[in-house]
Amino acid sequence: MLTTFINQQQDPAGTLVVIFLRGGADGLNMIVPYGDDGYYRARPGIGIRRENLLDLDGFFGLNPNLAALHPWWKAGQLSITHCAGSEDETRSHFEAQDFMEHGGLAAGGWLGRFLRVRPDAGQSPLTAVAIGPQLPECLRGAPSCAAIQSLEDFGLGDQVPAGFLPQLAALYKSAPGVLGPAGQSALAALERINALTRTPYQPANAADYGTEDFSSGLRQVVRLIKGRVGLQAATVDLGGWDSHITSSVIMDTPMQRLSRGLHAFATDLGTEELARTSIVVMTEFGRRVAENSALGTDHGRGSVMFQLGGGQPGGGKVHATWPDLTNSPLAGPGDLPVHHNYRDLLAPILRRQSPAVDLTKVFPGYSLVA
Amino acid sequence: MSTTRRHFLQAATTGGALAGAAGFSLLSHVLTPLLSGPDDGFASFQPPDSSETDDATHVLNRLSFGPRPGDRAELLRLGTRGWIQQQLQPETIDDAWTDARTRHFESLNVWPMGELLEYNAKELLDQLTRARILRAVHSRRQLHEVMVDFWSDHFNIDPSKGDSKWLKPADDKTVIRAHAMGNFRELLKASALSPSMLWYLDGRVNRRASGTDKPNENYARELLELHTLGVDGGYTQQDVMEVARCLTGWTVRARDKARFAVGKVEFAADLHDDGAKTVLGTAIPAGLGEGDLERVLDLVCQHPATARYLAGKLCRRFIAEQPVGTVVQAVADTFTATSGDIKKTLQTLFDSTEFMAARGGKVKRPFHFVVSTLRATGARSDAGPVLQDYLLRMGHAPFQYPTPDGYPEEAQPWMATLLWRWKFALEFSGPGLKGTRVDPAWLTASAGGPARLAAHFLGRRPTPAESNALVASGQSLGLLIASPAFQTF
Repeated sequence: MLTTFINQQQDPAGTLVVIFLRGGADGLNMIVPYGDDGYYRARPGIGIRRENLLDLDGFFGLNPNLAALHPWWKAGQLSITHCAGSEDETRSHFEAQDFMEHGGLAAGGWLGRFLRVRPDAGQSPLTAVAIGPQLPECLRGAPSCAAIQSLEDFGLGDQVPAGFLPQLAALYKSAPGVLGPAGQSALAALERINALTRTPYQPANAADYGTEDFSSGLRQVVRLIKGRVGLQAATVDLGGWDSHITSSVIMDTPMQRLSRGLHAFATDLGTEELARTSIVVMTEFGRRVAENSALGTDHGRGSVMFQLGGGQPGGGKVHATWPDLTNSPLAGPGDLPVHHNYRDLLAPILRRQSPAVDLTKVFPGYSLVA
Repeated sequence: MSTTRRHFLQAATTGGALAGAAGFSLLSHVLTPLLSGPDDGFASFQPPDSSETDDATHVLNRLSFGPRPGDRAELLRLGTRGWIQQQLQPETIDDAWTDARTRHFESLNVWPMGELLEYNAKELLDQLTRARILRAVHSRRQLHEVMVDFWSDHFNIDPSKGDSKWLKPADDKTVIRAHAMGNFRELLKASALSPSMLWYLDGRVNRRASGTDKPNENYARELLELHTLGVDGGYTQQDVMEVARCLTGWTVRARDKARFAVGKVEFAADLHDDGAKTVLGTAIPAGLGEGDLERVLDLVCQHPATARYLAGKLCRRFIAEQPVGTVVQAVADTFTATSGDIKKTLQTLFDSTEFMAARGGKVKRPFHFVVSTLRATGARSDAGPVLQDYLLRMGHAPFQYPTPDGYPEEAQPWMATLLWRWKFALEFSGPGLKGTRVDPAWLTASAGGPARLAAHFLGRRPTPAESNALVASGQSLGLLIASPAFQTF
């Protein structure tokens, strides 16, 4: 029940962290199919050369700007799915993000629904946070969620008179019915948040977050996870992927931010905690296979999805039904097709987080593959 | 996305709260002397003075979103029964002041419906939310607002799906508000043909079987499971499929397909399955066309399970989470005998001994908590982003519940919101919420001192322990709002 949720030494179900790469990230230049000649023919100017890649499996290679993720791959903690995406074909940032975050033509966001319909819904005072100024659409409808810039947003503020909390605690102690235990639970959560914000945070295992916003956001999430406040989900956005011109100039920086942030996050969490924390990286669509005249790429369809940690069985693999880029039909005007619907990739993660959850309510109107 | 003139105007008023047409009334609101207004009733502030919740306080708690300073005196003047009678006839209560305060939400009065599509969808949701909060705070037709809350959950629509974004304001006005205290059969029909509902539950794409394309059962299922018979109401999967067949062919002109009359609901005979059907054991002959809808609505409204299901829900809202079976049956009987007259059904409920005996014991949902705080303190609020953000954090922002079952009524799902309630209480009564103003000193003076103010919030005289706690807390108004007693009604 409520009190056990907050008083256990571990949050029972672990935490889901959703990272959305806004702007349509070019999966082909992140996880490069160097074994497919068609890739180099389509991208003579911006293709990443074989010798610069970190090999993954003899066919795909990792962009050097994502090098910090390579150890996690080798440790079996990172899996990659190529040709991933949604069925939305508009190639519009707004429409495609909206579609993906709502989970199709559905009300509310898929993450909000997941948190609402899971059997232990609403038992944690801090179910979900969005790092940033506003809630993303995927969290709409969550039982309790807050967009925060820093952990201090959670406390009662520094203007609370000294006598307030003791008197409040006394009133709730003698409250009848469900309010008594609920009050004790909220007080315990408050105490944990205060403890978190009182002391400067020292990351574990010499994790180095740097000073980027994205990394700092992930650091706030780690503090909440370690603080045992009952966090079930967090979202962090990383923008800047819309590489219509000079691909590497646009994409190198966000790739570095992504890999540095994830590396620090996983390092700081440590093995045990990482096993209970699932990190998902997704984007609204990928890019055209062929480069354009400005050495960039235009809006396409399939891209990559990453999954880090979470005790996943399929780590250390690139999952893909790969189309031969020379001979296979591409999608629309020449885009990497979507062979793996993002919902089918989310489903096993959600089942690990909440085994009894009814996924037909999370993804209404969609038949999961397995 | 094309930018129309109205789009532009709407964007301008969103950006600057005091600009444009919407800003005019906000400006006058700011200029209105602090905490004065015809509805506040500070002049007749008469807090309860018994040690237990008395009849007057109980009835105010249950039929309204909590007492304002002058409400108790007015109820005592009319008598408990008289006040209930008045609330049961909302059309007889002058509410011009509330109308005036919400009139600047231009979009909520737009007609024809297609015009709504010229608005920015976020702006529409904001206006709808503000109007909902302000009406709940200020309206003198409190029972009507409580029933609007009730039916908004019963016929829940999350407008974030498809064209619902633009069509929900019309649903709020012409379905929920128009019929909240009318006849259930009429309410149900209005809802069934509401373009917003046809989008939300896919009725608009429900068409007769052709090849592998089967009718869409989404609305038919929720009609039976949530809107009428209830999940244990005795219908079968076969009934769901037959109801879906009956309702094939109702379409809505979609924004991305139609140029004119967007949002218009039309019956397309060629998409309708006009064969014979059997619903809940009753044969519906072939060839009735759009008349199938009327037959289905008659069948479900007259079904005894519907009366029991609705009576149970009403009793859980107004009496207790687990009301005794006899009162539920009595309320259901009136529902059946009056063919779904909502006022008469409520009358039976309020006349019951179970209703009058059920003091306290229900936990306010967050919307109720926030609104009752504003009411109890006579605060003035713009119901803007800061207030709405608190409702979001507590998971109870109006029009944002994703699934068709509506926000839960029982206490347990809301138990994790206390931390946010406390934060709200402290910020509200201390530094203040941006866009909301309250004057604690004046409030205390109007009540006739701290003990009487405490009684106003607690619904009874404070115990000695409570009185001591209020002093020792250093923030007595904040503690009253955060207290366990103020979370219940």
